[in-house]
Amino acid sequence: MIGASLSRWTMSYFAAALVALVAAEIMMVAGYGFPAASIGAPETLILVHVVAIGWLSLLMCGALLQFLPVLVAKPLYSDALALPALVALVAGLAALILGFLQLGGRIAPGVPFLAIAAILLIAGFALIVWNLARTMAAAKTIPLPARFVLVGLAGLALTAALGATFALTLGGTVTSGPLLTLTVAGLPIHVVAGLGGWLNITAVGVSYRLLAMFMLAPELERRTTSGALYLGAAALGVAVAGGILMVLLEAGPSLALLAGLALGLVALALYGFDAGHLYRARKRPKIELNSRMAAFALASLAASVALVVILLALGRLGDQTGAVVYLVAFGWLSGLGLAQLYKIVAFMTWLECYGPVLGKAPTPRVQDLVTETRAEKWFWLYFVAVWAGAAALLAGFPLAFRFAAALSLAATIGILAQLVRTRRLADVKAAIRLPRGAQPPRLLMTHQP
Amino acid sequence: MSSFVELDVRPILRAGGEPFGEIMGAIARLAPGQGLKLLATFKPVPLFSVLGAKGFGHEERELGGGDWEVIFQPTGQAAAPAPATAPANASDWPDPAQHMDNRDLDPPEPMVRILAATEALKRGDVLSALLCRDPIFLLPELAKRGHAWRGAFEPDGKTYKILVRIGAAREAAA
Repeated sequence: MIGASLSRWTMSYFAAALVALVAAEIMMVAGYGFPAASIGAPETLILVHVVAIGWLSLLMCGALLQFLPVLVAKPLYSDALALPALVALVAGLAALILGFLQLGGRIAPGVPFLAIAAILLIAGFALIVWNLARTMAAAKTIPLPARFVLVGLAGLALTAALGATFALTLGGTVTSGPLLTLTVAGLPIHVVAGLGGWLNITAVGVSYRLLAMFMLAPELERRTTSGALYLGAAALGVAVAGGILMVLLEAGPSLALLAGLALGLVALALYGFDAGHLYRARKRPKIELNSRMAAFALASLAASVALVVILLALGRLGDQTGAVVYLVAFGWLSGLGLAQLYKIVAFMTWLECYGPVLGKAPTPRVQDLVTETRAEKWFWLYFVAVWAGAAALLAGFPLAFRFAAALSLAATIGILAQLVRTRRLADVKAAIRLPRGAQPPRLLMTHQP
Repeated sequence: MSSFVELDVRPILRAGGEPFGEIMGAIARLAPGQGLKLLATFKPVPLFSVLGAKGFGHEERELGGGDWEVIFQPTGQAAAPAPATAPANASDWPDPAQHMDNRDLDPPEPMVRILAATEALKRGDVLSALLCRDPIFLLPELAKRGHAWRGAFEPDGKTYKILVRIGAAREAAA
């Protein structure tokens, strides 16, 4: 074991992800896509993929390139592969947007953008999965949080495979009968695999370790933890494999998706139980902003679960998918992502800049790179805006939703400005800002010795 | 099987006493070839090198309840098979010049303190530190600064013990 170093391209992933988040929020403010357009309209597909691939997947990939090595105590298999993966994913997303514009008749057909997008996105995600899987394969033991990541990566592979199938079929490259059937009826499976499998299970796994680490709580390897893992994996398997099978049998995927949902809700309840335990068992009495704000994200997850159960009981889940997806994507996944980014960017910047001179010169603490009181108000605004936006969607007030989206955009820009200040060491006292031998960090990538 | 004298210092330790004199006295009274079986309320790591210098090998096992049994035997005797000790306890390094317990510190404070301590110690000195997880980001920094290290989790699986030897070329560790 030789430990792990800083991932060179993680900051670039974070930057690209944040650009996509801001772009998606601008679309929502402008009334582009759902709820102004229908949930399956090309405009909505563009909005959803800017959020799912551009923001959340790039954020998660960048974070995993840095944190999977920490989870398994092995260095990243290849730092070099991370850059071509990023380029392929960003180019693939651009091609996908152009392909959706072709579907909507906004730009001329001709160039097969959907097929190009399928190839680029599969290539980008394959490079990520290969890099992370080789990193895990080198470890002697795979602790539980990393096993969640493994299941999440399986979800990513399934999502990307389904998405590529749809893109090739819709783009007219593939015309086989069963794949056409899958494309017509399989969209909910793709959404469940991506949001519920890849993004959600990975976020759960990473959060187990991050919450324990930042709050000085004991690492959890309890029966509830492994229960959440196995039930989550089973939920993904039932929903995706069962769903595909039922679609191909022309029965519609609903039953498999509901069975998967039932398993998934139990898994999330176990996770909620564990997360509550981590907060209660922490040794650190006063926790930092990232852990306080992660509690808001967890509350959003709990609210999403309650909402799903209530809508199911009322028989209205089908009509309100948009509100549920919005609350999961922006309250839970984005909320957790932004909260932890605030700490991760500060930690990586601190280690990059001051690691080489620790003990040799006076250096700031990690917390000296941030000003929590200034950031906190933006986080509050963000969560309140997202909750208001979800309420507006539920109540069917599109204009109120756009107003809430404008507030969440302002909050995101506020948080983004804090991250840039951290990267620039703008809040560090001048006397200790750049001791002899310390290199100022670059904004978008990490120095390596 | 060679004979050994049994010495139980647990009552002394529990009463808050210091059994070092007692132990050295018992060692001095051993017949040639005789070993010492020591019972203590913790793993007496510092003794390993003290008695190692006097020509004793050691084999320890945990008795439960935090108690340890250590058998010190003169080397050159038919030595017992090598015990499976954690690499952090290998005894060919000098006694640690400094001990740190960094288990309750917020990350990355444990790393900051260890690196600060390594700058203050002399070349060849050993620093011992207890941590609550693998020091993933510390290890490359130690290597970059030319320090050798040995580290592993203690048998409880919760405490990670690292020994850092200042300025020594990097040696293999588990």
